Amino acid sequence: MTHNPPTQEEIMAVFPKVAAAMADALGCDLEKVKLDASLIDDLGAESIDFLDIVFRLERAFKVKIPRGKIVEESRGDLSEAEFENGGHVTAAGLDRLKAYLSEVPPERFPAPLSVAHIPRLFTTETFCKLVIRQQRAAVAEGSGQPA
Amino acid sequence: MNPHFCAFSFVDRITRLEPGVGARGHYTIPAQLNGFPISLAAEAVGQLAAWAAMAAMDFEFRPVAGIAGRVHLLSPVQPGMVLELSADLKTAESDAVAYGGEVRVHGNTVVQLENCVGPMVNVRDFDDPAGVRARFDLICSDGAVPGAFEGVPVIPLGRMGGERGRSLSATLAVPAAAPFFLDHFPRRPVFPGTLQMQANLELVSWLAAELPPPPNGTAWKPRTISDVKLRTFIAPNDNLELEAKLIELTADSAIISVETRKQQRLTGSARVLLKSQEVR
Repeated sequence: MTHNPPTQEEIMAVFPKVAAAMADALGCDLEKVKLDASLIDDLGAESIDFLDIVFRLERAFKVKIPRGKIVEESRGDLSEAEFENGGHVTAAGLDRLKAYLSEVPPERFPAPLSVAHIPRLFTTETFCKLVIRQQRAAVAEGSGQPA
Repeated sequence: MNPHFCAFSFVDRITRLEPGVGARGHYTIPAQLNGFPISLAAEAVGQLAAWAAMAAMDFEFRPVAGIAGRVHLLSPVQPGMVLELSADLKTAESDAVAYGGEVRVHGNTVVQLENCVGPMVNVRDFDDPAGVRARFDLICSDGAVPGAFEGVPVIPLGRMGGERGRSLSATLAVPAAAPFFLDHFPRRPVFPGTLQMQANLELVSWLAAELPPPPNGTAWKPRTISDVKLRTFIAPNDNLELEAKLIELTADSAIISVETRKQQRLTGSARVLLKSQEVR
């Protein structure tokens, strides 16, 4: 899998389908699903909605989305102990997370940041990037063209 | 007789099983019952999927009702019928199972489920894992003795009000005790999602009675329930508020949204497509 961050062009290419999946899952108007909308704070998503969104994205893009692994993936080569301590993200972990969730404005990262709070940072763009990474992975594995 | 099969178990026998992939089985609706809600036929598919998922998880995790993309209600089911059940799993992992399936009677599809997702919970929080495994062994071998189910008690809705032909609300008092709680689930009683769905369908039928009549010789009937989402566990004694709202109306179809709330918090939602169907 390539580790180049998704480009704005790639993000805008998947955004309409991602937004549609989110609007359907959350039962809200499509116009409300902005690229920078926080799923929890702006769109009112709960844990069951995250499952719903992920399965809808899998069907829409015909890729496997790693559920519950966004945090794990954002850790990169940091060990769990290097990433978090006592339920809070370490300074090194925070740097890594800010780089991974580059779409989230720095002021939205509270200090200290609890691990349980991380999903609160996710935006529509977070899921666009997730889809793009999985599309790239599928292409790299030769399992077909992205939908 | 294992008491679970009298309470809320709707797979008598599993005839084919590929853990994590799918299963086939059957359930005989006891002939002595006065009726059998079609939502329980959908429940039977969910339970078959749950067995196939639990078998793949070595009975450490079990799915609970969460999301149903679409449930097509194609034909009513009656006491005495043998329901031929199939469940096909898209995925079965420690956080969720995704599946579809159907119920057939004499080879004809009567209920079809698409894009269902059940979040996984720890089996031991809800049931005795050894007991679950023993029931699984039974239905995979000799099968449960058919005819044990004694029905579900009538849980009346309390009509509240609304705007005639456009919206309607009602209360539902979940009983403190009921036979189905012994099976659903022994260590943590939960009001079954399919009984919530049945209550929603009853409210929808009341609202349908206030709609302009469909073409001559037909009546409004629920055809598809979509975007079913259950957000939280409903416990014995919980008081729920149900609301149905008309979203769209044509000469031969109507879409009604239903929402369930507990103390103003949204706990469940779905959309029901009504079609005009010939009155038999």
